[in-house]
Amino acid sequence: MDGASPLERYLERCGGQDDLSASPQLFTPMSPYDVDLPIQTTEDVLFGSQFNQPKELPTDFSSVDLSFLPDITQDNKEQNLSEDGHEMQKEPDGSTSRNEDSSTLMDESGLSYPDATQPSPEASGACPPLTPMTPMTPVTPASESSGIVPQLQNIVSTVNLACKLDLKNIALHARNAEYNPKRFAAVIMRIREPRTTALIFSSGKMVCTGAKSEEQSRLAARKYARVVQKLGFPAKFLDFKIQNMVGSCDVRFPIRLEGLVLTHQQFSSYEPELFPGLIYRMVKPRIVLLIFVSGKVVLTGAKERSEIYEAFENIYPILKGFKKAS
Amino acid sequence: MAARGSCPGCGSAALVEDAHYAQQQLVCAACGCVLAEGLLTTTYTEEEHLREVAYSQSTGQKEQLSRCLQRGIRRVQDLCKVLQLPMVFEETAVSYFQRALQHPCFHLVSLEKKELLGGCCVFVTCRQHNWPLTMGTICSLLYAKQELFASVYLSLQKELGLSVPALSLGDLVKTHLNSFRLFQHTADVPATFVEDKEKMVARTMQIVELASETWLVTGRHPVPIVTAAAFLSWQSLQPAARLTCTFARFCKLAGVDLPPPAHLRLKELLEILLRMASQLAWLRVFNMDKKTVVKHIGDLLQHRIFLLKNAFCLEDGEEQRATAPGEGSASSPPAAGGAAQEEGCPSEGKRQREDGRRPLLPPCLINPRKRLRTAALSASDSAITGDEPISDSEIEQYLRGPEEIRAFRKAKAWS
Repeated sequence: MDGASPLERYLERCGGQDDLSASPQLFTPMSPYDVDLPIQTTEDVLFGSQFNQPKELPTDFSSVDLSFLPDITQDNKEQNLSEDGHEMQKEPDGSTSRNEDSSTLMDESGLSYPDATQPSPEASGACPPLTPMTPMTPVTPASESSGIVPQLQNIVSTVNLACKLDLKNIALHARNAEYNPKRFAAVIMRIREPRTTALIFSSGKMVCTGAKSEEQSRLAARKYARVVQKLGFPAKFLDFKIQNMVGSCDVRFPIRLEGLVLTHQQFSSYEPELFPGLIYRMVKPRIVLLIFVSGKVVLTGAKERSEIYEAFENIYPILKGFKKAS
Repeated sequence: MAARGSCPGCGSAALVEDAHYAQQQLVCAACGCVLAEGLLTTTYTEEEHLREVAYSQSTGQKEQLSRCLQRGIRRVQDLCKVLQLPMVFEETAVSYFQRALQHPCFHLVSLEKKELLGGCCVFVTCRQHNWPLTMGTICSLLYAKQELFASVYLSLQKELGLSVPALSLGDLVKTHLNSFRLFQHTADVPATFVEDKEKMVARTMQIVELASETWLVTGRHPVPIVTAAAFLSWQSLQPAARLTCTFARFCKLAGVDLPPPAHLRLKELLEILLRMASQLAWLRVFNMDKKTVVKHIGDLLQHRIFLLKNAFCLEDGEEQRATAPGEGSASSPPAAGGAAQEEGCPSEGKRQREDGRRPLLPPCLINPRKRLRTAALSASDSAITGDEPISDSEIEQYLRGPEEIRAFRKAKAWS
């Protein structure tokens, strides 16, 4: 991942950590435990070790669009915009509108940081724009975060076996394979443990689906490769990559989809004539969420587990704001 | 170049065509007299032909557009004319269509899809102007399959980055009722079935609003709801004569399709109305059922805000039951009594129907379909690292033995 920006590398390292709790450390890379700020106790101990290599951490966090967080006000947003952040330019109006919604949400849901707006103007000169966030995020008690963890339902991965395969041969010699060249040009193979399905192409490329975790997907892909090896082909295990992860969860309250599409028009597509759910295309992280009236949410399009968790933490305050408003 | 003729001034034959500020002039070389000034010629071939050419041809407008685009634009314009849309819509739709066709993903699609693309542009334009046009209408006009239309519509929305506002139910009610044939006296419609349009539209709107407040609309196709609401409002305006008419017959008389989900919507609407009726003091004495509640829809709609508050508790149990003078707890259905209800309400979803107050939730949460849920990752599963050793026996269970292969080969003719 040499081409990745420091930001992307950092976010990948965070993997699974809550975005809110990560921000204080970002601000002061040299001293993870800033005495001025009340910090969350438990999670920081875990994070502390991660932040002992501050050289790689980008101090310029203006490129991170944090306006989805419900506490950020218009002032903070403008400061972030003034800095030339490459990722911010993508949808400035989108984030602004989310920001405005977030401001109203803040009032309605009665969040416990009435002083949130004050620090921002003063802090602007002295510190990077991330500062206005820091007073708020550590104040977040653990109960404010949703407490719901999306469950991974499906992982799609690909691997290159790096040898040409005779699909007819494989279908003949393997019990768990089906091959119908008229319908599809690949062998469909299934194993019981972990319960997965693989599509094996004659070029040697393979797609593995159905696993419930990244490790399971890797194990399953290795088992398929072993089967192919035992069938007499010189299969290798190159370029294993997770292509897509799907997660789902339940927020446990009904959601007014018509209202959500009104306030988040740039991201939402709600066509009851076509599909009963609302399709929410989140920009950061780049995840597609299917939101249903029953409160069930499906998240897809992630390459990393952390993206799913991050996306859900982003959408939860929006959905909760809707529950109280109605 | 030399021209023929003689100069009227000096009689010289040396006439020259010259340009004065790009205006052609016939000038005498000898005396400089101007014989003829710039003729604004519209010919684009040589002047000798001197043929009149139409503006669109001389400016090359038509040539710039490919024939496919021209045909598509004509189709879009025809669609707009059939739907009797204002001129503005037509121009917008045509511009969307032109923009869309330039995109690589639409440039090389089949003709069928290109026609659907034109329909999608019209649809998007109508929705952006809050003109209640449903996908069903467009699909029927284009003789298109709804799945194909859906895919073209979604990719159009993504490619052009269009923001399409949601369909407004109020306008849909008005438009849908316009197509009902019950507002005039005709031969096949009995006299008692004819209804005043304004009253019916107003009452249908109220019922649709009620449905939307009670979670019957979110996530569902809007047209069946409007049809069911229209039926209820029509019945309630003259219950004596119309209670015997079935839903199917009503739709046939009105000349409207009866979509399959409409029966379910009707059932759900009646259930909501029955619950509300149980809170109305002067209706408690009656034993309400699905037929009789229709007679009182007018009253129920009039007091709907109050009745909704009392008939349903919110999920978090914050709503206190407003004990109105006419509604003592005594006559409430069993298992009631204010205290029991208030403490019972916070538990959502699984309340018994008899207690008279159920949480206001979408039907999918009230009647959850029993679905086999795959268990979450167990502890042993989550301990997998992905790099465990794989035993040979495990792999061999997936391979066929030699006798099996022979038998298989005999059974299946591998061509």
